[in-house]
Amino acid sequence: MIGKIKSNWRVTMLIVFVLAAMIVLFVPAFDASDEEIGNESQQAQGITNLQYGLDLAGGTRIRAPLMGMTATDVEFDGDSEPEVAAAVSDELPGTGTTDIIARQEFQDEPGTVEVVDPDVSESEFADAMDASGYEYGGIQDVLTDETYDEAMSVLEGKVNQAGLSGSTVQRADDPTGGTFIVVEVPGEDREDVIELIQERGEVRVDIFHREDGNYTTEREALTRDDFQSIGTASQDDQSGPHVPVSVQEQSAEEFQDLVVETGVAGPEGSQCTYETGVPDQEQSTDPCLLLVVDGEVVNSFGMNPGLADSMRDGSWAQNPSFILTTTSFEEAQRISINLRAGALPAELDIFGAGTTSFISPTQGENFRTNALIVGLMSVITVAGFVFLRYREPKVALPMIVTAFSEVVILLGFAAYLGYPLDLAVIAGFIAVIGTGVDDLIIIADEVMSQGDVSSRKVFDSRFKKAFWVIGVAAATTIIAMSPLAVLSLGDLRGFAIFTILGVIVGVAITRPAYGDILRYLMTDR
Amino acid sequence: MVDIAVPEVDYTQYSNRQLVVVPLAVLAVALLVIFGWYVMTGAPANLGLEFTGGTELRVDVDGDNPREQIEGAFSAEPQSIQEVPADGSYVVAFGEGEVQSSELESQANEAGFEILTIDQVSPSFGDDTQLLALGGVGVAFLGMSLLVFAMFRTFVPSIAVVASAFSDIMIPLAMMNLLGIDLTLGTVAALLMLIGYSVDSDILLNNSVLRRTGDFYESIHRAMRTGVTMTLTSMSAMAMMTILAYIFGIQIMTAIGLILVVGLMADLMNTYLLNVTLLRWYVHEGVKR
Repeated sequence: MIGKIKSNWRVTMLIVFVLAAMIVLFVPAFDASDEEIGNESQQAQGITNLQYGLDLAGGTRIRAPLMGMTATDVEFDGDSEPEVAAAVSDELPGTGTTDIIARQEFQDEPGTVEVVDPDVSESEFADAMDASGYEYGGIQDVLTDETYDEAMSVLEGKVNQAGLSGSTVQRADDPTGGTFIVVEVPGEDREDVIELIQERGEVRVDIFHREDGNYTTEREALTRDDFQSIGTASQDDQSGPHVPVSVQEQSAEEFQDLVVETGVAGPEGSQCTYETGVPDQEQSTDPCLLLVVDGEVVNSFGMNPGLADSMRDGSWAQNPSFILTTTSFEEAQRISINLRAGALPAELDIFGAGTTSFISPTQGENFRTNALIVGLMSVITVAGFVFLRYREPKVALPMIVTAFSEVVILLGFAAYLGYPLDLAVIAGFIAVIGTGVDDLIIIADEVMSQGDVSSRKVFDSRFKKAFWVIGVAAATTIIAMSPLAVLSLGDLRGFAIFTILGVIVGVAITRPAYGDILRYLMTDR
Repeated sequence: MVDIAVPEVDYTQYSNRQLVVVPLAVLAVALLVIFGWYVMTGAPANLGLEFTGGTELRVDVDGDNPREQIEGAFSAEPQSIQEVPADGSYVVAFGEGEVQSSELESQANEAGFEILTIDQVSPSFGDDTQLLALGGVGVAFLGMSLLVFAMFRTFVPSIAVVASAFSDIMIPLAMMNLLGIDLTLGTVAALLMLIGYSVDSDILLNNSVLRRTGDFYESIHRAMRTGVTMTLTSMSAMAMMTILAYIFGIQIMTAIGLILVVGLMADLMNTYLLNVTLLRWYVHEGVKR
């Protein structure tokens, strides 16, 4: 028995791999999907541990770079990051402090200055850098890795806060120097996802009031950092759609003073009749609180007398909570998400330099069934063809079984790695079956050429000859496919990776095993 | 039952010149088509969405005259409207720059279409992709050539493999232009895959002729029996994939399958006409010199 296993160790190895693949595929404990941000939906259906990509599960994928430029090797001359940012911002009219990011990792070493306002041109930025007096090396049209990291964690926060389970946020670099963020959200409409991630989502509260007879805006009365806690969006008859918030102790006193000073908390509260889009000096309203998202006023409100009283007698700061009212529930949700997840350091350039794709969940399901049918039918065609050609079940049957086991092993790999299957990967599988059977044909023909194979020695020498051809062919396929596996060319990476993996599995495991099976069947023992 | 036997070709009847004229003529026509395309359009093939940028929607349309409904629904003129046979949905493609994809999306919703898929690619992204894909094919081809030369270490048999692989890629590329198939990432992958498939049968042939003793024609026939079976098997799998994927409207699989079918046909011709002739010349005349 043991001797038999030893002399047929290649077959044993094939069986071991197929069994391992089966375990990984079907035993729930090996489910790799819980490493994702959310989990659930992607592997919810099906008895296998396979994960499906967007094509087959439905959902939205957005791939886009961040907008902005970086000045590299900037000499900070001992100034702090905020000082440098403010100095550059001063030279660029129309930019705020959140549009300029200065970074210096180590004291006294050159740092970077990034501008993330899409309206600033490269020459304007260069002029501003010159005018601000900091020496710099050059200007690149990509943002720094740190900014990308920040943006990715904010995006993860956003999709999580929006309750989009199973979402992934990844970074993809391509060799031409592009850096992209890829956001995949299963089961969600494209428009909703774009809406969620496209805006930077910088939320603040301004105060609009009259000073010396003229209207003026007190900016950043409250920003995200001032909030202690942010509730979820809610809606009721009394106050309409709104987000309940509470303010941190240190900021509360300050805000309270400011509100009283500017007259928002007047003796009878305040009635706000602010009109968006109307120039400041043509407004006629009591002092207002303005809710501002990405520099645009989304809502304005006054203060009821009760709250105003507590502001004026200073008791509000003991329990500093209030509500941010909005004009719609969707907006309340967005503001809640943006306040919780924070603002993106830069905007995603989805329509200028990105791609988006959406597949409806029903379509994904159809693709899944259809792709399965295509795959099965292709295998059956190959099997039929092989039978017609060889007429000899001894040769053809093991060939088909071996080709099938190759697919099982590959599926096992996919499940083990948690690699999501998509249409391109399935096309790769079919291509692998094609090359796999080709190689088995080479082995069969070589072994059976020039009469019967009676002795083991003859068999082995013929098998070796066949294997030389297979090895070279495999090496060429791997070389031909490797650029695709390395380049980030969207869907094709999966195709290439699985073709290469299939070729390796074929040469190392399945084809030698087929040789052993054939030898067992053909030689006289 | 049908018997699939590989026919034995009597090569002795034909001169070298007669044998190579067909594959070379086909290659010349293919190159002419590709070059002509390049002169006329600025690209060697019709570039698909991924390379040019644009928006493509797949929608389900209820009611009569779906085509007219689609034409009326959008504020931009669609580049093409194609029906998917399996489920009767329509694939509507728009060029870049006309109308933003979000607008198209809401127009489709307003018209009451059910949106099955949307793909949007911005033009600058497309340019980068084009460069990358071209580079990828170049690197793959170069790598394959180096490997082949390293394996055989003789010029004529190696160049035979490389030339036939080159022709195997160019013929389907030209065919794509004539059939109106766009160059997409899927078709680029198929072209790369062809490099692998093409080299298979060529190496088998070279190996059979160069590494064995025995009659030249006998070696050829032996290699041919195996090689033709291989190619036909792969071709049958790919043909099945192409037909079914077309019916189901799975574009990426249709594209990959179709290119491979055409490429494998080209490979049959190139391997057993061009490659065999080069080998015959090499074995009978080239070596003596």
